[in-house]
Amino acid sequence: MKKYFLITAIIIPLFAACSSLTLKPVNFGWPLENVLKSDASGIVEEQRHSLTFNVVPLFQAEFGDSANADSKEIRLIRNNEGYYFITAMGFKNVYMFSAENSSLNLEKSFFVINEGMQNPVLNQRNTYIELIEGESIYEITSKGIVKR
Amino acid sequence: MKNPKYKLSNAILFLLFFTNFLIAQSDFEKVENFKNRYKQIENSIKDADGLDDCFSIENEIIKLKGDFAGDIQLLDNSLYPLNFNSSINNLVAALETRRGDFSQISDLQEEVIGLKDRITLLDRQNVTLLEKIKDLEDLHNKDAAAIQSLQRLTDQLRSNLRKKDEIVVGIIDSLLAEFVSHPFVLNDAERLSFDKKIEYNNLFYNIDRTISDNIEFIKVSQLRADDLSDLKEKYNRFSKTWKQIGPKLTEMYLNRADRTASLERIDAKFSQWNYEINTQIWRNINSLFKEKNIKLSAYENGKEFTDRVTGFIEDEIKNIGIKKAAESENIYYTFSDTLWFGQIQPNWVPILIEHKMLEESQKDTIESRIANWKAQVITEELSVWVYILGIVVLIIIVLGLSSIFRKKN
Repeated sequence: MKKYFLITAIIIPLFAACSSLTLKPVNFGWPLENVLKSDASGIVEEQRHSLTFNVVPLFQAEFGDSANADSKEIRLIRNNEGYYFITAMGFKNVYMFSAENSSLNLEKSFFVINEGMQNPVLNQRNTYIELIEGESIYEITSKGIVKR
Repeated sequence: MKNPKYKLSNAILFLLFFTNFLIAQSDFEKVENFKNRYKQIENSIKDADGLDDCFSIENEIIKLKGDFAGDIQLLDNSLYPLNFNSSINNLVAALETRRGDFSQISDLQEEVIGLKDRITLLDRQNVTLLEKIKDLEDLHNKDAAAIQSLQRLTDQLRSNLRKKDEIVVGIIDSLLAEFVSHPFVLNDAERLSFDKKIEYNNLFYNIDRTISDNIEFIKVSQLRADDLSDLKEKYNRFSKTWKQIGPKLTEMYLNRADRTASLERIDAKFSQWNYEINTQIWRNINSLFKEKNIKLSAYENGKEFTDRVTGFIEDEIKNIGIKKAAESENIYYTFSDTLWFGQIQPNWVPILIEHKMLEESQKDTIESRIANWKAQVITEELSVWVYILGIVVLIIIVLGLSSIFRKKN
């Protein structure tokens, strides 16, 4: 009996130490989109949240391998779940990324318009990201895009 | 409907509506628009020229607050570390500070106008007085009336200069007090406010002019030891105040070539003022030696003065026995009793030491040489008396012996 008691006393704290700690709920949303201009190497820097990344692969994905990302303006916003949404003038899509291991991984891309957007705008709304392109307004979540 | 003017105005209205529609829908643009207008108002506050400008800026702030009242939550979230209300409050506080500057400047302006009138009047009077003094000084044979008139004009000029100095030092002191209350780097609004005060007070011109007048006064006036001591004290006071405010002004006007040049000119004027007072003091001391036919080479500082005086004493000691004893004694008594202990030591040495123009050790060196000189001159005197006494004793002995021999015979 003593033996079992000792084993239990050793094992229980070990389980407690191994269990993962989760803080919920978290709101990752930025109140405002950021309009960022890339440098000659295609690097953009978001100063308020200290985020820096390379947009060359994004422009290649949108326009093909020969795409130039020098001095290009992108629009970036993070939704409440923590996904980053990126688009730019001339893009047909809005791209949704997650952050992991020093990288932004593409989760989904949302097709908007075949001709490419002329003046896209991203706004933070309570449960979605609002995309405005001309007179069209779209609601984007991690699940999909809906034209209003 | 087909009127081209009508079409154009419709197009403009549509464009305006469309643009507004776009701006109204983009949160980013809204926040940027707020930030731009905030910055514009901030700059307007800095550049405001008077209370009227402040009034129109106040209306701009009210309009900004009204225009963005519907976006308070968005701005609260986006204007980190500020929020909508704290941004508006910052603008209101900056405007109130600026308004306060103008109220103070307006009060000061009235006071300064009065001071300016007084300074201008004193300047005019001083020019006339200086001219009259110069004319009287140039007279070769001054009669009693001329001398009395000269004295009266000099006293009047001295009094005028004192009044003007007080006004100018008062202006500097008031600025200095404000500078001292701002020990850290001035922001743009404070810099502008000080600049305006300096301009209203015509500070640089007044300091420059005051120093020039004082220099001119030293050049044309016959000044006594106590006059020069007062002038030296005035210089020290003025210079000390300037040394407190000067570097701050230099820092403030780092990018203003005209102001920097004015500051450098004033620094140079202060050096010239000090030089003129010192030269006048040494010149007055030397004139005492000259009056007694004692020729010393030129000197401009305590070391040179000590060297010249001790050099003269050494030469006189060497000349004992070469010159006639009476002549040596005469020079000693003139130098020591009449000049050094009679005039220079009681009247001038305290001033020289107080204003660090002569060190105590230099004074002691001179006086020990005088004591040495005295010992040598008095030794010669004694030896003559001993010699005479010896002869007298010898004569008495000879006379005594001869009377004894006569009695025996």
